[in-house]
Amino acid sequence: MLILLIFLLTVIFSASSFAINGKRRTFAIASSAIVLILTIAYSLLRFSGTYVSGFQSSASYNLVPSIGIMFSLGVSGFSDVLLLLSAIVILISLLITEKNKFGNSLYSYILIAETGLYGILISRDFLFFYIFWEVVLIPVYFIIAQYGGKNKDSISLKFFVYTHIGSVFLLLSIFTIYTFHYEATKVFTFEISQLMVNKYISQIPIFWRYLAFFGFLLAFLVKMPSFPVHSWLPDTYDASPYPGTIILAGGLSLMGGYGLFGILMPIYSLLGSGILTILIYLGIISLLYFSLAAMMQQNLKRMMAYASAGAMGFVTLSFGAGLIETGYQATLELAGGMFQIVAHGLIMALVFASIYLIRQNTGHEAIHSLGGIFREAPMLSSFLLAGLLASLGLPGLAGFIGEFSILVGVFGAIGWLIIAVVFSMIITASYHIWAAQRSLYGPYNENLGQIHDVTGEQFAVLMGTLIVIFILGIAPNLIYGMLVSYVGGII
Amino acid sequence: MSSEILVTSTGLHALSYFIPVIFLSLVGFIILAMGTRNTGKSIMSWITFFTLAVGGVLTYLLTPIGTSIFGGTLVFNSFGLYFALIMIISSMFICYPALKGLTAKSEIFYATLLFVTVGMILAAFSYNLITLFISFEAVSIGTYVLASFGKSRRNLEGTVKYFFTGTIATAFILLGSSFFYLGTGTFNLSILATSIATPEISLALIFLIVGFGFKLAIFPMHQWAIDTYDGAENSVSAFLSAGSKVLAYVVILKVFLLGFSSDFKDVYYLFVILSILTMTYGNISALSQNNLKRLLAYSSVAQAGYLILVLAVVSSTGNITSGVASLAIASGMFYSLVYIFMKGGSFIALNSVNHESVELADVSGLAKKSPALAVSFAILLLALAGIPLTGGFFAKYLLFLSLIEGGLWWLAVIAILNSAISVFYYFRVIMYMFGRNPVGDQEFDLTRSVKVPVYASATITVVLSLMILWFPAVINIASGLFG
Repeated sequence: MLILLIFLLTVIFSASSFAINGKRRTFAIASSAIVLILTIAYSLLRFSGTYVSGFQSSASYNLVPSIGIMFSLGVSGFSDVLLLLSAIVILISLLITEKNKFGNSLYSYILIAETGLYGILISRDFLFFYIFWEVVLIPVYFIIAQYGGKNKDSISLKFFVYTHIGSVFLLLSIFTIYTFHYEATKVFTFEISQLMVNKYISQIPIFWRYLAFFGFLLAFLVKMPSFPVHSWLPDTYDASPYPGTIILAGGLSLMGGYGLFGILMPIYSLLGSGILTILIYLGIISLLYFSLAAMMQQNLKRMMAYASAGAMGFVTLSFGAGLIETGYQATLELAGGMFQIVAHGLIMALVFASIYLIRQNTGHEAIHSLGGIFREAPMLSSFLLAGLLASLGLPGLAGFIGEFSILVGVFGAIGWLIIAVVFSMIITASYHIWAAQRSLYGPYNENLGQIHDVTGEQFAVLMGTLIVIFILGIAPNLIYGMLVSYVGGII
Repeated sequence: MSSEILVTSTGLHALSYFIPVIFLSLVGFIILAMGTRNTGKSIMSWITFFTLAVGGVLTYLLTPIGTSIFGGTLVFNSFGLYFALIMIISSMFICYPALKGLTAKSEIFYATLLFVTVGMILAAFSYNLITLFISFEAVSIGTYVLASFGKSRRNLEGTVKYFFTGTIATAFILLGSSFFYLGTGTFNLSILATSIATPEISLALIFLIVGFGFKLAIFPMHQWAIDTYDGAENSVSAFLSAGSKVLAYVVILKVFLLGFSSDFKDVYYLFVILSILTMTYGNISALSQNNLKRLLAYSSVAQAGYLILVLAVVSSTGNITSGVASLAIASGMFYSLVYIFMKGGSFIALNSVNHESVELADVSGLAKKSPALAVSFAILLLALAGIPLTGGFFAKYLLFLSLIEGGLWWLAVIAILNSAISVFYYFRVIMYMFGRNPVGDQEFDLTRSVKVPVYASATITVVLSLMILWFPAVINIASGLFG
């Protein structure tokens, strides 16, 4: 029940934030901090040690029984981890905004996005899952449309329509399995745990079953984003204000990952090796394509946008490969993929927050306009460097764990194609280092003039994020165990 | 079968069922009389508002559910009551915002509004082509008058177009009704047991679709609507595209689902084709519009396309009392209710722009001048696009659900894709309001009569999403259009 209270609290916070005019930033930060603390407390209570598998805090409220409308909730180990991630990402995105830089609405939008993310993660029925899935889009759209950079009009529209088309296919898939479930059992229900079961999905005629899978995968891959459906990504990340970019990288890609591992995984055996192989290839192509595209970028923000998509390629890959394989390797890959979602969200928050502060202090974010800023702003540069190192997968930081366990397990499924994966990792490492070298080190670009380093508050935010990344890097079992138990409950 | 529960009542006693209607007409005449004494227009607007409210309560209390009078021409049932109340609400809705555009002779406006509402209430309870025709015509003639309110010649052009096409539609309805009589031997609309598909019936089907399709503005018969909505006062456009459209919708439901229940195959094909064309045409034309009012007009054409999907589902099941048919009709009923607020509210929100012919650029920067108004308008547009947390989402959602339940998957895909396309133009409006700066020294009209109705409709649109809890009751009301 505690989780329902936390969720209701996010609803109340986001709604009441509109009424606060003077100190909305403070209010937003305080309320998201409260949500984070409560979520941590909840995780300690429900998931420390005793968690085996399945769902905690399951409850169901019948709203309109005659057509199966209900609000069901439940938290698995995986969704709990993502709850923590989204609370942290939201808090960071709020904290890095300076006072009086953005209008008041931004803070309300961010709180609504948090409500939507929490709603997605705790809903165990498709109706509310879908509703919250759409709810997240709206505040993010407004963040870009109202506070975005160049071409924000067309880019925010492109973002919304692109992801909305994914969503309507999700809705179609939900209706399809809902209707076939009714035909098979004469029971109307939207409950995910009743609909997404092998016994019943396998009765759906093959055409409709694959149509439903197509809808689900399209919706999830658009959010990730994965290779063929990514074209909204670079522009959107670029045009979005930095708090929005952090939510896009940490929050929206989380939704795609949650869709794969949280919604589709229970019926993995029906996906068939055909779909899974396609996903593996999409993952590998994403890794290669995005790392090559990132290398060509002249702008730090755009580069990291591609890097973020590349890192999510690992998630797609691990999902496909992990479900083809069995036993120890499968667990390793699947847990690795889920860990990668978390690590990626945190690391991108750190990287984008640092780039944002560099942009604020120097007025530039293009690599060639920077240069040698370590001399003037050593602390800020070190934070960016740490973020970049974590992003390329340096051992000891969180990014390594996920990539390593995926790489260890994946050989059995993809064979020598692993060379392509390793190759993309090498490219990733090189453009990260190259970018750091050109922008942070070397002779100082005197055109930048006098720039100042991080302030106390900013230091605390970046340091806090870095510490979390570091802790997850050296003690991954804090969440890895939960993820392994979650996987164990399904396969 | 619901016809068994009908109580037949004859004689003078039946007059007592018309108390709400008589009351509304009487006040209509009183308002006309007040006009000669130069009563202020805001007083008249409040009198009309409260009269309609009282009329609604009276209709709710005094309608003898399950009574049929005059040999089955009027049937009082929950289905009719539901739509009668919806249409009364849609008339109440424009009383206050209409004040802005009224410069002279406001008594005629408000009296006509009351008379039109009387016609609507009667149409909601009519189950006979002749009474339907008469009440429908009473509404049409009244709306010709309403549409001509205003001053410029542009308005008149739209009205004249509306008048002429409306008259032609009337001729079609009359011809269709005659053929209907030839084929069936009755004007009454009731479920026919035997299947008859004579040439007369087919002719009647075509003529009646053209005639009633004009009023609902479905695809080939929509062109007048664009010009008329564009030319008329905002609040009148709101009324034409909300109340008057819902009236046409309920009439179409009755005529084609009851009158042609013997010929469902043709009804099915016709409405599948018409709905696809209407949705797609409306959405695609709206994409390229820069005139905000025409954009909303095209969007209301597209919405009519969604509404008539219900007929496709019901006729494909072949049985109007089946569960799927009831779900489809109920989703149409729910859609109509939400539609009144989301569409009416959007047109009324245009009152905030001071000049006629509202362009998209005219609302730019509205969010800076009045955040609350911009947010409310945005909520209405989101509802039209079918985004969750608004009643519009559940309306669309139930509609698509009934399509899939009825086995029309491909039609659902077309409808869903259409609804995704529509996001483009609704969000363009939002983008202008939130993302742009005001053009020049653009001043918005932010008086109370502009803001309050929009706030109200946005709030109601959101609150209506809770009505999903009472949806089973709506399904009961829908049962076979005989509630």
